[in-house]
Amino acid sequence: MGGHDRAPPPAAAPAVTAAVLAEGLTKHFGAVHAVKGIDFEVDEGSIVGLLGPNGAGKTTTIRMLTTLLAPTAGRATVAGLDVVKEAQAVRAVIGLTGQYAAVDETLTGRENIILCARLVHLNRAEAAAKAEELLERFGLVDAADRLLKTYSGGMRRRLDLAASLVGTPVVLFLDEPTTGLDPRSRLALWDVIEGLKASGTTIVLTTQYLEEADRLAERISVIDDGRIIAEGTADQLKTRVGGDMLALVVADRSRTSVAAELLSQRFDVHGTDLHVVGDLGTVTLPVSGGAQSLVEAVRVLDAAGVTLADIALRRTSLDDVFLALTGHSTDDAVPVASRTARRKRRGPDTTDNAA
Amino acid sequence: MATTTTALPDEVMSLVRQRSKGGLLQAVSDTALVCGRNLRKLVRTPGLIVFGTIQPVMMLLLFSFVFGGVAGSTIPFYKSFIVPTVVVQSLTFAASSSGVGLANDLESGMIDRFRSLPINRAAVLLGRTLSDGVRIFLQASLLLIVATFIGFRFPAGVDRGLLMLVVAVIFGVSLSIFMAWMGLWLKDPETVQVAAFVPIFPLIFASSGFAPVNTLPGWMQEFARVNPFTAAVDTMRGLALGNHYQRLANRPGENFNFSAHLGSSSWHLAAWIAAITLVFTTLSVREYRKV
Repeated sequence: MGGHDRAPPPAAAPAVTAAVLAEGLTKHFGAVHAVKGIDFEVDEGSIVGLLGPNGAGKTTTIRMLTTLLAPTAGRATVAGLDVVKEAQAVRAVIGLTGQYAAVDETLTGRENIILCARLVHLNRAEAAAKAEELLERFGLVDAADRLLKTYSGGMRRRLDLAASLVGTPVVLFLDEPTTGLDPRSRLALWDVIEGLKASGTTIVLTTQYLEEADRLAERISVIDDGRIIAEGTADQLKTRVGGDMLALVVADRSRTSVAAELLSQRFDVHGTDLHVVGDLGTVTLPVSGGAQSLVEAVRVLDAAGVTLADIALRRTSLDDVFLALTGHSTDDAVPVASRTARRKRRGPDTTDNAA
Repeated sequence: MATTTTALPDEVMSLVRQRSKGGLLQAVSDTALVCGRNLRKLVRTPGLIVFGTIQPVMMLLLFSFVFGGVAGSTIPFYKSFIVPTVVVQSLTFAASSSGVGLANDLESGMIDRFRSLPINRAAVLLGRTLSDGVRIFLQASLLLIVATFIGFRFPAGVDRGLLMLVVAVIFGVSLSIFMAWMGLWLKDPETVQVAAFVPIFPLIFASSGFAPVNTLPGWMQEFARVNPFTAAVDTMRGLALGNHYQRLANRPGENFNFSAHLGSSSWHLAAWIAAITLVFTTLSVREYRKV
């Protein structure tokens, strides 16, 4: 999480070990252009997050990379194998955990894993051993011989993940692995995914949770409306948006505009970056200078006799980045650096990665 | 770049070889695994078998006793006459579960899972069809056993009766391929359940199933004569009832050649089975690949 590593990304190494490579990957469903030419590269052993809202094209992209869907244009390779021309070979080296736990209700946990293990052509003994190993690793031993009907949502997801690992895949695709899970199950699943990362499996995951991408992914591609609109580490993306956010609530709402005016002058923040809601008495603005800016704001307002109900300094979250880049939220606090991005976010040239 | 497989690290290539062996042997074992999974589901859903069996038995009893009285004057052995019809009807309902099952698998993501595994591309469909075949066989056998209790016999011999069962299963399997396509095409289990009855009812009733074709209105006779269900029912009746069937059709003013009729019905049925299987296997495989 976080850290202060704001160094530029290392120069792209020659593509010798690209575990996943997509070039101009495109998918049209009739008139609907779900994916509009995506380029990206995933290094072997790394974990990459595709971050985007519903309908951004994340799942369609994953489905193309996992051979479930034929691209309309462009190409992609997984472990050097072409997803169209060598689809069956690709299937032999990948694991896929879809958006919904693809497990069989009327089988037990163990039977589910054994079925998948047999279908990746392990023999009976190997499949049984593999099932034992995975059930152990995912904490499902006690429930192994119960029918899935008795499993909780979190257990199903873990089993689903276990089932996608039966073939010891080189690349693992996780499509919104924690969507719909309660916070506790989500944390448990994150631990499992981090464990996989530690074991060196290349992972491509999609998520609409910024927190999730922040925690799990080394690199993040922000995807919106079928395009990748930004790419980098979580910290790089945060840096793009700007510094910290100062948010305060004025005790006497009638003095909100006074407070806003004072802060605008003091921190030289104007226009849409200064976000004021008079009815609520809130003022939000981007500041640099960390805690000192908070002290400064209190001093200025106190001197003018403006009393505060609340004041907080908030480090830029990926949510801010996301809103700034996609502009999907109506008019929330959108910090400095995104001003230009915001204006032309709908245009075709919003792509930030050189494509 | 790395478009040729030879450029790949050995580790990847050996994994590909281990996971995806290919060939007929793998196709058979993949199909068997999927079929086994479906059968296991079936065994664990006893309600489905119980009611799936009770339903046609109930139909058999209702049809024989309700229509038996009226029809008895024209068809002296209406109960026997109706048995093959009810068998065909029950296997049609059983076949429709093929579509519902596949739609369920689509909805639950199992189809995606299967499609992302290095298994034979036809295994999921074949496995489904095979397990349905087993189910149809069990249901039809049970139904015939019950039928003997209300007086159904195989006057043409038990061997012919068994042949009738085989014909029923083969016809049922071809219908299950059709239903599989419905399932993959419509994708929603409940829609499939309802939609399956749209073709089923006219096919069952506008056939020789409940009344001889020549008692139907003229325009319907045309339909009934080409109807695959007529072919199926006539073939099964011919096999089950043998010459007794002739008595039924030999009404005044009509020259009915029993063996010629059985012969033409069975060819008619064979043609239908071949056509349904061919067309809907092709369509299902296409649908399966693009879902």
